[in-house]
Amino acid sequence: MSVFGNSDELKNVMLTLWGRIKTDADMSEKLLRSRLLVQFRYRDPEGLLTVDASDGVELKLIWGRFDQKPVIEMAMKADIAHEFWMGRISVPVAILTGKMVSKGPTPKALALLPVIRPAFDFYPDVVHEVAGEGARK
Amino acid sequence: MQPFTFHAPTRITFGADTASSAGEFVKELGGTRTLIVTDANLMKAGLLDKILSSFKDDGHFEPVIFSDVPADSDVPCVKQAAQLAIESRCDSLLAVGGGSVIDTAKVVNICLTYGGDLLDYQGLNNLPSRLHPLLCIPTTAGTGSEVSLVAMIKDHAEGKKLLFGSRLLAPDSAILDPALLLSLPPRLTAGTGLDALTHCLEALAAVSTSSSLTDSLSIEAMKMIFANLERATTDGANLEARSNMLVASTMAGLAFTNAGVGIVHAMAHATGGRYGTHHGITNAVFLPYGLDFNRMAIAPKYAYAARQLGITNSTDDAKGADELIRVVVSLIERCGLPSCLKDLGVPEFSEVDLEELAEQAITDPAIMFNPREASAEDIINIYKRAY
Ligand SMILES: NC(=O)c1ccc[n+]([C@@H]2O[C@H](COP(=O)([O-])OP(=O)(O)OC[C@H]3O[C@@H](n4cnc5c(N)ncnc54)[C@H](O)[C@@H]3O)[C@@H](O)[C@H]2O)c1
Ligand SMILES: [Fe+2]
Repeated sequence: MSVFGNSDELKNVMLTLWGRIKTDADMSEKLLRSRLLVQFRYRDPEGLLTVDASDGVELKLIWGRFDQKPVIEMAMKADIAHEFWMGRISVPVAILTGKMVSKGPTPKALALLPVIRPAFDFYPDVVHEVAGEGARK
Repeated sequence: MQPFTFHAPTRITFGADTASSAGEFVKELGGTRTLIVTDANLMKAGLLDKILSSFKDDGHFEPVIFSDVPADSDVPCVKQAAQLAIESRCDSLLAVGGGSVIDTAKVVNICLTYGGDLLDYQGLNNLPSRLHPLLCIPTTAGTGSEVSLVAMIKDHAEGKKLLFGSRLLAPDSAILDPALLLSLPPRLTAGTGLDALTHCLEALAAVSTSSSLTDSLSIEAMKMIFANLERATTDGANLEARSNMLVASTMAGLAFTNAGVGIVHAMAHATGGRYGTHHGITNAVFLPYGLDFNRMAIAPKYAYAARQLGITNSTDDAKGADELIRVVVSLIERCGLPSCLKDLGVPEFSEVDLEELAEQAITDPAIMFNPREASAEDIINIYKRAY
């Protein structure tokens, strides 16, 4: 069974997490400067999150269908995303063991990592608040 | 013990003159019409003669030859070769050449198998299904591309290399024929050999992803490189030295493709992408600096390697690491390779050059495996010292 009970729970956790990233001045400024359009494709349970910094003005978070072609796509099981944000799985290990798929220019995906790293600190709280005591960690 | 995955799906056949059975190998893989990817130098030097006649002997359809691969192959070359393969209805590929040729064949295979835009397949673990059969016959001993799960191709539009990485990209079969390397000139022999040595040392240092399997391949390959590279460089006709280097390079390829590389490759990629310097020779310049940078994070591992290589008996890790770096520097010197970027022909850097190079190196996929995190400032420092 997944850490996330269903797609709605996954959606709430990820949108809350990215919502906090958006309100963090440092992280959002760096993301906007990158002008990246990144898409995270989750399975078990399913979910599709697009983070759009392409206009350099406003960080947009879109859950579900999105018609533009992203610059980078990252695909993984929702549980791997959880392990990643908990700081329990490193990207090189996830890549070599085939648990993460990255589509598009890899250097751009890697440049994103140090930018979002501060969010590792508050992710456990987000899971706890949104998914509640019931969330298996 | 930490968890790991080890992929070694390529069938490896070693032996002098084994390349003259290439046609048979392709047939066994189910190929009926084959695109042979190679470069003009190798064709001219007659390295393909026996290989081509093996196709005639075996009653194949006439293979189709693409021999226009430049050093550090690029997107237009891949597209041209793929077009030829598609028009000729090829169902299999044979690469005969160095890393540039093998990487080209891998990416041509992506275009031939899936069609569409090759940019849609760049990335890691991003290939949807099995590719057409690919047989590789390396003519350099360094890149390990004949067994690796990656390929890199220059994209002039972006001024960078595109990376394709997937376990599906591993060639089906590799023929290691040392006779094909007898014509490799000394500088390229030494440079490609240093590429293999860098693969060993960086795979060994990749502590979060290496395993006993990759470590043992790295150590054994290093023993063979230290014992044979200088001889292969100064006495190119020495088949035994060539054989050892060829097998060591494939072993190093298996090690790095399963454990990753590191800061030396990241800096060599950034430098090669900008100034067109040879991959292996550029690694040789950065290797002593990379080892020195990482020693504070993994001196025990370097010292372990030094003891395994018989360089030292000391149980003092700092001393062992020092000894390892010393023998690497000495090998580079004895092989006549440049020890600084200036001697490699790299023009003097402006501050902007340094910033851009550092930015490229710290986002290069190779660096994610490095045991010590490197900042842009660290990279700039190494660039300045290595100049
Ligand atoms: N995919 C991987 O795993 C991997 C790993 C490391 C490097 N690479 C890539 O490999 C490329 C470098 O490959 P390389 O170092 O083998 O050099 P190369 O393939 O670029 O060849 C260099 C030169 O050597 C000549 N040559 C090759 N074999 C010869 C022979 N037997 N006799 C005479 N001349 C010969 C070629 O004609 C060419 O002019 C780079 O593009 C690098 O990015 C790939
Ligand atoms: Fe290399």
